[in-house]
Amino acid sequence: MGRPLSADEVAERLRARFGEGVEVEDQHGHAVATVPVDRYREVVRFLRDDPAFACDFCDFTGGVDLGPERGFEVVSHFYSTEHVHNVRLKVRLPHEEPVIDSIADLFPTCNWHERETAEMFGIRFEGHPLPVKLLLPEPFEGFPLRKDFPLMSREAKPWPGAVEGEEEEEE
Amino acid sequence: MGLITEKTPLAKIQPVRFLLNWGRRYSLWVFNFGLACCSIEFIASSTSKNDFIRLGVIPFAHGPRQADLLVVAGTLTDKMAPVLKRLYDQIPDPKYVISFGSCSNCGGPYWDSYSVTKGVDQIVPVDVYVPGCPPRPEALLHGIVKLQEKIRDEDIQEKFRSGTSAVR
Repeated sequence: MGRPLSADEVAERLRARFGEGVEVEDQHGHAVATVPVDRYREVVRFLRDDPAFACDFCDFTGGVDLGPERGFEVVSHFYSTEHVHNVRLKVRLPHEEPVIDSIADLFPTCNWHERETAEMFGIRFEGHPLPVKLLLPEPFEGFPLRKDFPLMSREAKPWPGAVEGEEEEEE
Repeated sequence: MGLITEKTPLAKIQPVRFLLNWGRRYSLWVFNFGLACCSIEFIASSTSKNDFIRLGVIPFAHGPRQADLLVVAGTLTDKMAPVLKRLYDQIPDPKYVISFGSCSNCGGPYWDSYSVTKGVDQIVPVDVYVPGCPPRPEALLHGIVKLQEKIRDEDIQEKFRSGTSAVR
């Protein structure tokens, strides 16, 4: 049985290895590290191979659209079956031309997750072995999970219920 | 079915037509195109409590080539739509389609989705629409009875001639 690392220990170890460019915070007991895009692959490889981390399972890779100013975020979640701890990686990307390294060769499970993130957000995964659409039909145009993606039905008939932002203002 | 062609208007004779349609409407082999939760209601309709076999609907045809009735139960996406069209084309004439549930009728709760087909009648001709989200098994039984009434009053020669059923 291994030894789970706390968020502070994850921060300590990642900073010791990758310098001050890595920010780590504690979110609901999970360590969440924000890493620069050019060191993403390196960090993932370190999480997998370092015996103290030994993250042998990638839970998911997904995307977040934070709007045109703040760009995109790619979130990957790693888990260690040996130490029973979780590490989440976040990478910030610009809204124009978001490109990130693929980690599908390090974690084969990321193959489909990256294809889905690519088709939904228009994020390019450099070095992906099969960069084609996963869920959407091949002729589909646009990236449906981007905030600025127009829903044609809603252009014709606006959403009849309350919108999330407006609800908060009323309170 | 070779007896009922344009050249042999045997089915025009009233008792023959009655007998033919009576036979057809009580032996509907059904192909369940189950796509979502509506499919579970379809299965519930086939089991002992509701039991649509007593209406002559025989479930679980081995494939579309053995089926007379196609029940589209669930959310059809644009990616799945070509498959539905292909299976429908494989069903031999005369064939019937029941659109079961809001999703297959019009897109239902996914009315503004980027990936859901807003109604299977864009892909295949539909005979009976069963509303509900999901509809109760009783609703499917009602839909089947409605379809059987439609078959009872049908002129099969007319059906072939109008091309609503023949492969297009």
